Amino acid sequence: MTSRRTASRSLVVASMLSILVLLAAACGGADTTESGTGAATTDDTAEPTDAAEPTDTAEPTDAAEPTDAAEPTDTGEDGDTAAGDDGVRLGILGECEGPFGGFHEDVVGGVVLAMVTQAGATTNSPTSALDGFSDASVAGTPIEVVGIGCGDDTPDTIIREVRRLVEQLDANVVIGPLSGDEGIAVAEYASANPEITFLSGIAGSQEPTLEVQAPNYFRFHGDGAIWNAGLGDILHNQEGWDTVAVIADDYSFGHTSAAGFIADFCGVGGEVVTRVFPPLGTTDYSSFVQQLPNPDEVDGYFWVVGGTGTQAALEAFVNSKGDLTGDQHAGNLFFNPDLASALGPGIAGAYVGGFATLPGDVQTPEIQEYLASADETWESLPGALTGNEPGDPSIAAAFGFFYGYYSAGVALVRGLEAVDGDISGGQEALQAALSELTLDLPYGQISLDENRSGIVDLGISRLVLDEETDEVVQETVAIIPQVDQSFGGTFSDSTPPPGRDFPPCEERDLPWEGNAIPVVDGVPQG
Amino acid sequence: MSRRLAPGGTVAFVGLLVLLLALPAVSSSYFVDFVMTRTMMLGLAAATIVFLAKYGGMISLAQLLFFGIAGFMYGNAALESGARGLNLGWDPWVAVVFALGVATAVALLLGAIASRTTGIYFLMLTLVYGVIGFFFFAQVITISGPGGVTSIAPPDLFSEPVRLYYAGVVLSALAYAGFRAIGGTPFGLALQGIRDDPVRMASLGFNVPLHRTLAFTAAAFVAAVAGLLNVWWNGQIDPASVSIGPTLVLLIIAVIGGISYFEGAWLGAFVYLLANNYMRQLPLVDRIGIREDRFNTVIGVLVLVIMVLSPEGLAGIAAKAGGSLRRTGRRSPSGPSAAAGTAGERTEQPDREPARTTGTGEPSPATPTTKGTVE
Repeated sequence: MTSRRTASRSLVVASMLSILVLLAAACGGADTTESGTGAATTDDTAEPTDAAEPTDTAEPTDAAEPTDAAEPTDTGEDGDTAAGDDGVRLGILGECEGPFGGFHEDVVGGVVLAMVTQAGATTNSPTSALDGFSDASVAGTPIEVVGIGCGDDTPDTIIREVRRLVEQLDANVVIGPLSGDEGIAVAEYASANPEITFLSGIAGSQEPTLEVQAPNYFRFHGDGAIWNAGLGDILHNQEGWDTVAVIADDYSFGHTSAAGFIADFCGVGGEVVTRVFPPLGTTDYSSFVQQLPNPDEVDGYFWVVGGTGTQAALEAFVNSKGDLTGDQHAGNLFFNPDLASALGPGIAGAYVGGFATLPGDVQTPEIQEYLASADETWESLPGALTGNEPGDPSIAAAFGFFYGYYSAGVALVRGLEAVDGDISGGQEALQAALSELTLDLPYGQISLDENRSGIVDLGISRLVLDEETDEVVQETVAIIPQVDQSFGGTFSDSTPPPGRDFPPCEERDLPWEGNAIPVVDGVPQG
Repeated sequence: MSRRLAPGGTVAFVGLLVLLLALPAVSSSYFVDFVMTRTMMLGLAAATIVFLAKYGGMISLAQLLFFGIAGFMYGNAALESGARGLNLGWDPWVAVVFALGVATAVALLLGAIASRTTGIYFLMLTLVYGVIGFFFFAQVITISGPGGVTSIAPPDLFSEPVRLYYAGVVLSALAYAGFRAIGGTPFGLALQGIRDDPVRMASLGFNVPLHRTLAFTAAAFVAAVAGLLNVWWNGQIDPASVSIGPTLVLLIIAVIGGISYFEGAWLGAFVYLLANNYMRQLPLVDRIGIREDRFNTVIGVLVLVIMVLSPEGLAGIAAKAGGSLRRTGRRSPSGPSAAAGTAGERTEQPDREPARTTGTGEPSPATPTTKGTVE
């Protein structure tokens, strides 16, 4: 019996052997890339942080790999592109699973729209961005999508996906990722692979640029702290708030978003009297709300509680502290008019931090042209804001996730134009050009600081009661111009990452203090 | 009975080992680094689930926790600078010892508690361990925090990815041989006796909780070794690395391969990673709805099919196929002897380890004696 059993075991081992032989034969061949692992070569400079951002409103989309997106364009008689190789092989790091899985179509759409409007591409589908684009080229250098990565908001997954794009599918330019923790991991990978150019999608952590500082990682958007810049200035100097209580999700993005507000509010002379950090995923906020001071003990509250937690936390506040008075509340980008449907119009008056785009009441010709271009590119898009059902593409395009990836795509095109399509020599010329770029984008100008992180304009808004419709709407009140991630020295590569105790509440000169551009009826007044 | 492989098995094992060692020369580095290195890491970790289930009747969901503890501890000890973590800046090999020591010590403590439970209660308790571990690392920013520990470099010896692969192969071979050898030791025999009838073993004077605790600790040590390979391969570790999702993935790997076969751990990891890496590249699969966001669905269906066809997993299917082939071969020359052989196979079935190890840890009516289960 023993011999039979061991013989069976032999068969198992032999089966494994056979499978391996077959696969080795199938997968054999010389390597096509020399990309190393992040583990082996990264610098010991960075620390993690920040997860990502917004609303968590959507369910995951039916994401898909592009169906053989684009083929390289015919470059004509003289054939060779300036690149001297196959041109730009673009990998896109999307997010098809996890809390932001619903935004997969949106973020890929941002890149596709940039290629369509800036690089002469055509979409492969009138109803989905995930089918990719064809015939994109810049200065004779073709751009093709080699793959779309599927992140799930975790660094582990995004590292596997970026390695698949680069090491298996030979991507030489990567756009993405979406969330903050993913951004740190990808930046680390970028530092180990300097011949690949990485353009951040909309990852809102500070570290990819502030700490990791990979020379080939570019971020043409702000971070979670930047998006709250100027809010403290308005609340303290215009609304008269001297003291504030902060309640924020106890994870990276919550810390970073709160840190931006705290640095700003304290920088202009305000005082943060309480910081409360409920664990991410909390559903019953009553015990945390109890830790907040009562409304008569503090001038206001700042909320950084995301996803479904925003409403739950505010409802706990109503149960514990009494009715909402919007004038006494402010929130980061998680605050939106939809809260009024559950909480009533009492939320009107609350201030809201910024994001990559401006609220819909600001309609400049550039913004209108941008949104119209999205509607011309697709018949419909199943974006997150339409519940992943077909909807107007401009609805997706107006949201920050889509726009962040769009900005990265435009930056790639402008960079290629600057070097006449030359991506040879380890892309050094392209990376140098990207570092010097200043983009004139629909929602404002974006340039890069010395760490290749965006210096951006952002809009502060307020929830107000529309007297005609009796509904709560979001109205832009100010644009804070040219915000960088250092906050006048509050954050640097030598300071700790944002956390429960950092930054401390200290008065400090902020470059944008007093420079807010008022917005009246959607029109900037400066 | 001897735990040694039959001559044919030894040849196959050595052949497989040679092939694995030669693989980097004939295959792409992506395949070696991305599929095979991870197969070794995850197979090693999954083998600890098999070890506890096969010999101890304990289905543990805490193995990924020890896998993660080793990674976190190594990162904290080896990194010299950084805004998170202890940044102890120790020599990498000292950090290795530290990581393995902490993971093993924690396992000893947790195992001492869990050893008082069996069956579904043991399963749930180890699940609780995993959840506690996730929240511990997510909340305690001194050693991790939600963003985890990044920029973790392996010791210089493993700075080349292919060396990490070789380390995985060697450690896997050692673990495989070691786990099989344990089954024949007095400790292993006692453990299997405890699996089959803990009351009887206790009445015979065996310390049941101690045996279970030591088995749990030994398994955790091997899982921690796999965790070190993982953190060297990945370069970072964060709480999501030890969350409930990856915890279940490890169990699924063991189930796919066959939770009663040590070989199944690596086979399951190999199949899982193949599907994970190559499924979406198959022609036209996206046209039938199999896309990257459907991967978990496909794996779920695969597990379901395997459980229906063979609760012993792919390794069990292969073993059964081998048995059928042999019976067919014997039946053709001589009918009566073939019939006897079939009867013999049938009577041997209850002796197989697998069926019992997926149970509750209580004695199985199909298991007459401990002797039968340990060959």
